Amino acid sequence: MPDRIKKFLDSGALFIWFCGTAVAASLLMVGGVLLLIMINGLGFFWPHALVEMTLSDGTRVLGELKSEEVIPYSETPEFPKGKTRVRLKVGNRDLYGLDFRWVDTDRIASADSPKDAVAFERREWGNFYGRIREVSRGEDIVATGNQEGWQALQPLIGRANDLHEEIEHLQRDVIGDINYEIEGTRLRIRELELHGRSQTPEVTELQAATKQLESRYHKHVETLRALSRQLDEYSVVLVETNGSEKRLAVGQIVKALRPNDMSLIEKILRYFINFWSVLSEEPREANTEGGIFPAIFGTVMMVLIMSVAVVPFGVLAAFYLREYARQGLIVRVIRIAVNNLAGVPSIVFGVFGLGFFVYAVGGTIDNLFYPEALPTPTFGTGGILWASFTLALLTVPVVIVSTEEGLSAVPQEYREGSLALGATKFESMLRVILPSALPGILTGLILAVARATGEVAPLMLTGVVKLAPALPLDHHFPFLHFERKFMHLGFHIFDVGFQSPNVEAAKPMVYVTTLILVMVVIGLNLSAVALRNYMQKKFKASAV
Amino acid sequence: MNQADLSANQIETASPPAPVSRVSSRAWRRWVDSSARVVITFGGWATIVSIFGIFAYLFIEVAPLFDAASWTESASVHVAPVDAAEPETIAVGIDEYMEVGYVLRKSDIAFYALPAGTPVPLDPSVLSGAERSRRMPDFEDGEIAALARSPGKTHTYGLGTKTGRVIPFYVSFRVTFDDDVRNVEPVVSSGEPFEAVPTPVGPEPFDYAQDRHSGAKSKDAHIARLAYRETDSGPIAAALTGSGRLFLTKMQESEAGGLFALETETELLQVEVIDEGVAALSVLLLDDLGETLLGGTKDGRLLYWDIQDIRNPRLMGMYSAGTAITALSYLIGDRSIVVGTERGTVSVWMPVIDPDVGGDPRLQKIRDFASHDGAVTAISPSLRDKGFLTTGASGGVAVHHSTSGQTLIQIPGNGAAIRAAMFAPKTDGAVVLDDSGRLIAYDIENEHPESTFSSLFFPVLYEGYEEPHHIWQSTGGSDAFEPKFGLWPIMFGTVKGTIYAMLLATPLAVLGAIYTAMFMRPNIRAVVKPVVETMAAFPTVVLGFLAGLWFAPLLEQIFPAVVAMFLLLPLAVALVCIGWQFLPSRLKGQSGNVTELVAFVLVLVGTVWFCLQLNHQIETWLFDSDYKGWLQSSFGLAYDQRNALVIAFAMGMAVIPTIFSISEDSLSNVPPHLIAGSLALGATPWQTLTKLVIISASPGVFSALMIGLGRVVGETMIVLMATGNTPVMDMNLFNGFRTLSANIAVEMPEAPHGGTLYRLLFLAGLLLFVFTSIVNTLAEIVRQRLRARYSQF
Repeated sequence: MPDRIKKFLDSGALFIWFCGTAVAASLLMVGGVLLLIMINGLGFFWPHALVEMTLSDGTRVLGELKSEEVIPYSETPEFPKGKTRVRLKVGNRDLYGLDFRWVDTDRIASADSPKDAVAFERREWGNFYGRIREVSRGEDIVATGNQEGWQALQPLIGRANDLHEEIEHLQRDVIGDINYEIEGTRLRIRELELHGRSQTPEVTELQAATKQLESRYHKHVETLRALSRQLDEYSVVLVETNGSEKRLAVGQIVKALRPNDMSLIEKILRYFINFWSVLSEEPREANTEGGIFPAIFGTVMMVLIMSVAVVPFGVLAAFYLREYARQGLIVRVIRIAVNNLAGVPSIVFGVFGLGFFVYAVGGTIDNLFYPEALPTPTFGTGGILWASFTLALLTVPVVIVSTEEGLSAVPQEYREGSLALGATKFESMLRVILPSALPGILTGLILAVARATGEVAPLMLTGVVKLAPALPLDHHFPFLHFERKFMHLGFHIFDVGFQSPNVEAAKPMVYVTTLILVMVVIGLNLSAVALRNYMQKKFKASAV
Repeated sequence: MNQADLSANQIETASPPAPVSRVSSRAWRRWVDSSARVVITFGGWATIVSIFGIFAYLFIEVAPLFDAASWTESASVHVAPVDAAEPETIAVGIDEYMEVGYVLRKSDIAFYALPAGTPVPLDPSVLSGAERSRRMPDFEDGEIAALARSPGKTHTYGLGTKTGRVIPFYVSFRVTFDDDVRNVEPVVSSGEPFEAVPTPVGPEPFDYAQDRHSGAKSKDAHIARLAYRETDSGPIAAALTGSGRLFLTKMQESEAGGLFALETETELLQVEVIDEGVAALSVLLLDDLGETLLGGTKDGRLLYWDIQDIRNPRLMGMYSAGTAITALSYLIGDRSIVVGTERGTVSVWMPVIDPDVGGDPRLQKIRDFASHDGAVTAISPSLRDKGFLTTGASGGVAVHHSTSGQTLIQIPGNGAAIRAAMFAPKTDGAVVLDDSGRLIAYDIENEHPESTFSSLFFPVLYEGYEEPHHIWQSTGGSDAFEPKFGLWPIMFGTVKGTIYAMLLATPLAVLGAIYTAMFMRPNIRAVVKPVVETMAAFPTVVLGFLAGLWFAPLLEQIFPAVVAMFLLLPLAVALVCIGWQFLPSRLKGQSGNVTELVAFVLVLVGTVWFCLQLNHQIETWLFDSDYKGWLQSSFGLAYDQRNALVIAFAMGMAVIPTIFSISEDSLSNVPPHLIAGSLALGATPWQTLTKLVIISASPGVFSALMIGLGRVVGETMIVLMATGNTPVMDMNLFNGFRTLSANIAVEMPEAPHGGTLYRLLFLAGLLLFVFTSIVNTLAEIVRQRLRARYSQF
């Protein structure tokens, strides 16, 4: 028997099992995290059923059932396994103070899912769960009762949403344009003053123009007020499950649903509508509700500008290192330096970007080209251009390494063949090597984009904000506003998850953002892997 | 190339050549080729130079931290010489832009435009009628006998007269802009005078009940030394008469009247201080709250009174400073005291309260600074930091900084004793008056006085502490806050986070790599490896969010189960492994196949599930039903929700794929014929692994660990989101910490451009840069050598 034990120990099976468990643990970690994000993120869009519970003391609770758990430290003789409790999202933050509520299971007398319960998504104070008592226009009651009110409300909500759109258009486009022009004139006047021409007729003209703009502005503000009054025209009295009332202007309601009365098809349809609205809408309530469109837009813009900056430099450097430079000690040192750069923490790039791009370069640009706006910085503060450049520096090693890989995979015969046929070195680079190395360059670019999409730390120093007043791209000349601050998916996660006052209510939003970010990044990485495999196969086949 | 490719090429070449190619002559093509070479070489080098440029730029931003301070004499103006009896009545000052300096002597003040030295007249038009009459103090009975400066943003003086009165006197500068040209105008005004010495002064201790407000003023009321301070509750003065009597006077302002008629009423509180050593006093000093009085004597003693109850001053202590004390001053914040003596020594003292005994604070000398050749004649504190300026009887001027303990500048002077001095409000200059009657202004370049190598990396005795500490606390509520720039706590936090994360990640990643490279079927490996590598693509902000908002609260609930997992898992694996040996191989299949992998997963999931089910029982058995209390009582460890254990898991996850991938590469790149040879000679796979593969691939594993280490050290978002970011220094696994990288992310947005904090954060960045560069270079060199060695086979 001891012999057998010795044999077993010598075989190393035990150690192999530990190794195997380590692999299993790593796999489970990846799978678990992905699953966690998927469940929480994808569940967000589903119109959850509403549960109405009557408790043993006669009070009632209405809301979405979120989870159930064993109450810690609750073993009692009657409940040897420990009592359980359920967590409900009861909404009605303005009435209850909190969005979530724990209910002990043994206190629940009865529970059902009433078909007439309505879930309202509101512009303020989060969701409201309850029923409709009456709908009125000013003092006149239009409809009473839940069913009648529900029917009367549907067209009103549609109208209110149209009104909101109109108001937004007026605020953002019309009034925004006027403000933009007023600011432009102000800067022009200041510029003339700086050149000592404050008494010229041009200034008087500009001042007159400002006056005119201001009067136009006031006129539009009047229209805006009128529209806002229209929003308050209709109001609705809502009643929560215990009978407390809440009067609400219809303009406050984004949408009203009866999730318990919806068929599966309707729910699936609603799921995709919700999904689309998160992707396409502006955020509300300090980013914790509404959509994430500006964050997606900002991320994409930043990555695009970064790509434009990083590809030429990365490819040039790789071509130089692989095709032009004499291979020797210097090139080896440079390769190590490039590798090192890839290992430098991203926050260090942020520090560099802030010091060099923002303060040194941006400050100089401001002094030279925008003296009229000082002391308000134009380029001398964080902005999308500086953030993109910083990330370009961060990702240039990725492009260099990947392009070099692509170049080294191109068989030597291609070069020799091309040169032998009389092409110059540059011509063979351009016509033969570059097309063959294109998948490598593309892989590098995709990996760089994937890295840049997920990177947050350097952006925090170089121009990302929690709420940007304007997108970096609009219809004002020169259309692309490189100096503007922008929103970013990753920073959105950090900000909403850690800086918002009501973290618990904000969590679903963070999971949604996380899901989108992770999907984008992993999708990019997988496509890079696929491209690399394609490249390897192609040259393996042709080299034979 | 195959046949189809060839024919395709032939078709292409067969098409008629484009006209362009005919035009492009050989010379043109050569030109294009050589210019392309230049462009590519230039572009390549530009990229490479910019990589090195990052290092250079970080260095450039950090370097000024350690720059020596420098000075230049910017102006020298001749005013009337100073006579020996006069020093007590002279003061100099300068505005914050260093454009106008002044000399206040006797009952006269003169302003000079600097650096030209032309007199600046006081423009009466800048004052309205009523103010104009009060512009200069009204000296009805003689000139100033003593003068005291009350430090602060405005130039506030108490002028003590020969008749025992104190006249508050203010100098300020009105700054106007006319067409972007700055214009600095001096403005002076004076306050309500009050009697700081009761008259007449009799031979016996003053009896306030009897003697007040009776009789004429006497010669004995002559104020020889004065301390004056304007506190929130009214001005306060300590006056030493020519005959050596010390009187303390406070103009107490109290709100009187009904609810609707708020009026302030002033009440004059006065007392004579009778203690041993009073007669020998040479300098007096009051703090800004009016709670303590300090006196320096001619025989070198420092007297320390508690005057919170102004009617009842109490001597708290008497300390020896060696030789006669000639100058005293508080530093900004009125905590540290600078003492200058006749021998020219300069030292900083601090009140310390013994925490065990409590009671009165005790003065303690904490630092000595470079001495002057002659007696110290004046001390002027900075209004911005814990720096100060001292001058000597031999004409020397020196700038010191208390926290860093260094003397930054020593200006030798020309031998004429300096009588009065002021550190410029922005600490970028100084103005002094010497005995020969020269008013000299200096420009001082002194951007970062608080940072020295030792103040950054060694413990420092900060104000309000008993002994030297490593502390990082960069900003406080007010100007008087002493910034604490000890880098150790955050470097310690970086090390702590790194160690715990690597402790978790290393075994998982390396063992996993060994299994994947050595024992797994290639077709499974083709799936498993990319899946683990996907983990590397997870944005760290996502891991940080999950760690902070999902895992940290979860871990707090299931902590006992997690402890049990660490204990039970190896046991479970061992047991199942032994059981596995007895399974018929028909069921097991080949080693390294999917069945085995599923078995691993099942063991893992089963153990985890088992532990979670028993969470409460485990807590009862192992931790007395309350693991937090148990940790506290057994080991004195506090448990925070966001702690190093959470970080270990999250950062471990971020770094496992890196280590795994590189280790796996180096393990599976061990030349196959070596392995085949080993197996052919009869070694078991296990022997081949331990005796051959691991040893020959160990440099690769090492470099994988180094690269992983580099990643963990600089990781920002995870630590930012999942620790409390408190810069504490202990290795407790269950509390938070702050790392260099998180510190940059937290403080950089608030750091003013070019300030000390800004540059220190650059230093933190540089440290990270240098450390990761060293680690990565090491890893890269090891890898290159390994590759060269494998290619020999």
